[in-house]
Amino acid sequence: MSNARKDWLQQLDEASKQKQEQFLNGIAAKLQRPRMTQKPQRPLQGAPQFWEQFELGEVEKLEMFQRNFEAAGGYVLRAATLADASNIIVDKAVELKAMHVLRQDEQLLEQLGLEQAMPQVKVRSWNDDALEDWKARAAEADIGVVLADYAIAYTGSLALLSSKTKGRSVSLLPTLLFALVPRSSVVTRLGEVLQPLDELKRLPAGIHFVSGPSRSADIENDLTIGVHGPGIVYTIIIDEL
Amino acid sequence: MSTQQTELKGTVKERAQLALNNDFLRQAVKFTTERLRSGKLKAAEEHGNWEEWRERGRQIRLHTIAHLDYYLGEFANNARENGVHVHFADTAQDAISIALQIAKAKEAKSAVKSKSMVTEEIHLNQALQSIDCEAIETDLGEYIIQLANETPSHIIIPAIHKNRYQIAELLSEDAGEQLPPETSVLAGYVRKKLREKFLQADIGVTGCNFAIAESGSIVLFENEGNARMVSTVPKTQITFMGMERIIPSWADLEVMATLLPRSATGQKLTVYMSGITGPKREEDGDGPEEMHIIILDNGRSLQLGDPEFQELLNCIRCGACLNACPVYRHIGGHAYGGTYSGPIGAVLTPALKKNVAEWDDIANASSLCGACYEACPVKIPLHDMLVSLRRRKVEAGHDHPLERVGMKGFGTVMSNVKVYHRALKLGKLGQKVVVRDGGIRTKIGPLKGWNSHRVAPSISKQLFREQYGELRSELDQQAKAADPAVAARMREWLTGRDGGASHE
Amino acid sequence: MMRLLARYGIVLEFPNVQTCCGQPAYNSGYWKEARAAAKTIIHAFEDSDFVVTPSGSCAYMIHHYPEMFKEEPEWQEKALQLQRKVFEFSNFLVEVLGIQDLGARFPHKVTYHPSCHGSRLLGVKHEPMALLNNVEGLELVPLPFAEDCCGFGGTFAIKMSDISGAMVAEKAEHVIETEAEVLVGLDMGCLMNIAGHLRYRNQPVRVMHLAELLYEGVSYSDEHTANRA
Repeated sequence: MSNARKDWLQQLDEASKQKQEQFLNGIAAKLQRPRMTQKPQRPLQGAPQFWEQFELGEVEKLEMFQRNFEAAGGYVLRAATLADASNIIVDKAVELKAMHVLRQDEQLLEQLGLEQAMPQVKVRSWNDDALEDWKARAAEADIGVVLADYAIAYTGSLALLSSKTKGRSVSLLPTLLFALVPRSSVVTRLGEVLQPLDELKRLPAGIHFVSGPSRSADIENDLTIGVHGPGIVYTIIIDEL
Repeated sequence: MSTQQTELKGTVKERAQLALNNDFLRQAVKFTTERLRSGKLKAAEEHGNWEEWRERGRQIRLHTIAHLDYYLGEFANNARENGVHVHFADTAQDAISIALQIAKAKEAKSAVKSKSMVTEEIHLNQALQSIDCEAIETDLGEYIIQLANETPSHIIIPAIHKNRYQIAELLSEDAGEQLPPETSVLAGYVRKKLREKFLQADIGVTGCNFAIAESGSIVLFENEGNARMVSTVPKTQITFMGMERIIPSWADLEVMATLLPRSATGQKLTVYMSGITGPKREEDGDGPEEMHIIILDNGRSLQLGDPEFQELLNCIRCGACLNACPVYRHIGGHAYGGTYSGPIGAVLTPALKKNVAEWDDIANASSLCGACYEACPVKIPLHDMLVSLRRRKVEAGHDHPLERVGMKGFGTVMSNVKVYHRALKLGKLGQKVVVRDGGIRTKIGPLKGWNSHRVAPSISKQLFREQYGELRSELDQQAKAADPAVAARMREWLTGRDGGASHE
Repeated sequence: MMRLLARYGIVLEFPNVQTCCGQPAYNSGYWKEARAAAKTIIHAFEDSDFVVTPSGSCAYMIHHYPEMFKEEPEWQEKALQLQRKVFEFSNFLVEVLGIQDLGARFPHKVTYHPSCHGSRLLGVKHEPMALLNNVEGLELVPLPFAEDCCGFGGTFAIKMSDISGAMVAEKAEHVIETEAEVLVGLDMGCLMNIAGHLRYRNQPVRVMHLAELLYEGVSYSDEHTANRA
């Protein structure tokens, strides 16, 4: 970024800090009390008490996740091992005659051995080369492969946190998405994933909850799948993980 | 493409009449609102303990608004620490000016937008066009109405008033080829077209469903994926946020995520819920390099400290009130004549401006049935607020002169039972001219409205209070003894209430 | 209503100074005029233990009184006292008196419209159902979209007559769909509104207030018991 630009942004930031004081003073004045600078007491925070105790057993969790995810138009498969999961992905890629596959640059996903299993397909690993145009690669990919951080049974959702090796585009731009979920990462409630975020010092830039394929009912209430995000979403729950 | 506003002519009554005469619109709105409303009821029931969740949602919002200076300050400071450029805008013009500065500095030629009512409110698209920056709506419904040069008619389903043939026509023109009126084909076209736009755009514009104060993050709820697109692909991101759209923590988000999707469409969760905390980290492979958040006031702070309207700021823009409102169901969104429609719009539009003299009669387009209050996930008493709006208009002297005369008459007649009696006697006499078969069908003057759809009843020959004397003596003569069980219960009730004191 | 309660030995007083609860003025924002009317109501019932009204919306209106008299603490106190002793008719029968079965007989197909103020805002939901379910021979058919407003809203029907007309037309359509002989409700405003439209369309559905229906039901029972005796 040019220095001129840096200076301009800095100026804006300075101006904004002053404006902030004005703004907040205005609020306090309207509320007819002095500015509040200490964290206020909160007797009631987050979900109601009874909800925090809601927890499902292993089998029920998986069943509920599957039910909800499939109700939203997604697919849920079980794989005993990572190798099984790899076979599922390869079979699908071959079936659909996929030409480009993009996976997150994670060790577990490397162990899938997709590159070796389908040498005729271009399999790339997110952000492993600083000179590549990764958004373009994601846009041209037929299949994206990610390792979900969590799966939430009650809402039928996957939780995906971004990082250097985990691009947001990998779960967004390709036409078909495979999300691998370690069985041990399946939780019951959304709050189980959200609450720890309050404790983290620094959050990733993107925290995405995905609950099925992209959809819209904007045209005469007629449901259509695959509007901007992936239209086909598979979750593969891996038992050994 | 240009984006003029749909011209808003006439009064609410006139616009409503237009809507009522448009059969397709009425059918479409009815079908959609029923679908969404029953979806919500089903989802709420399935989830269980809905009232407790509503109350919790209300408490969280009330608390946040009551301490808004603290939480907004926290949010801004934390956002800055994440590398966000935070801006404060008192008015729509301020927000536009900041946005245009950013766009100009970037020499932006195109901006892709996800759905944001705030950007509608400030007319962002027009402003961007004016500096030769194409502003492209990417939500399917919004894209469609942008092509049609119209404004959204429902908070959640903006193109509810368009049928598939109209949509096919609009998109065919856009495509330069004839597209069939089939949803999947039409949606497929838009997906392809907008892909290019996403990848080429200089700026991504989002709204903000909830800002999280403690981490300086913003959260977006959507089903299509376009909000994720505009916040991942373009190099610059500008997020517009109403100053009240904020909650303290991620734990609180669970409550909002439980209430919002169910109330809006009956879903357990929208397909995508994205928490964005600052621009990309240096090591990330995607995400915007530069992120701005513009926090907008535009009349919201006017509600603070006003006991009748402060709760208005609790609103999470779910649209449940629209789906529950029988008036909305019959007249659709455009008749409301503002950015926001339905019950929330009827209150927000005047409340944000507080320019009583210019308020139109939108607050009168309600039978005060309270369905909106019942549907609201954060329990905003919209039906009471509508009465408050009416009262303020009257107190400021902007009521209709005829109504004022009528009401003064009401006051005089009702303050004294003798006058009341006389008035009723006169009414009984006067009605002789128009009563036929015990009913009144004339459509003159104030009767016109009523009798265009009904037969009015005549005033009964004998008023209850006139009959009372006779009835009372008849019943006294019967002198039935008080049923002991009943009497006991009444005594119990009195004791419970006043500690035994009675007016024996 | 008076006759029904008399059967249990309760004879209602009707303090003549009362005029109107003031709702039309209140809803239109004319609170000064509304207060004038409200004062007659408060004054009328100052000495009563229980105040019963056959109108859910009037009962609900009285709940607004304390707020209306914010600037007049004396009247506000009286308003609060009144609020505590006001009961909508079916609520009074069921909750206060503990009566659900009046021994009525009404062998007809009936559908029920829950008035907005009474049911949604005042919370009177199960009482009318309890009373209707105990009427011998009565076939209660559910009204589709029963909770939807009938479009009366007091002055709303005059001021926004077209929208109101559309709403009552929809409500009447649902009533006709049920093929009920009788439409019953708690609020004369709603009932008059729907009846007016049904009449306009020459529909023979009979429209009755719950108290009317119950009274007819118990009279019918009385007659038949007497005949059998």
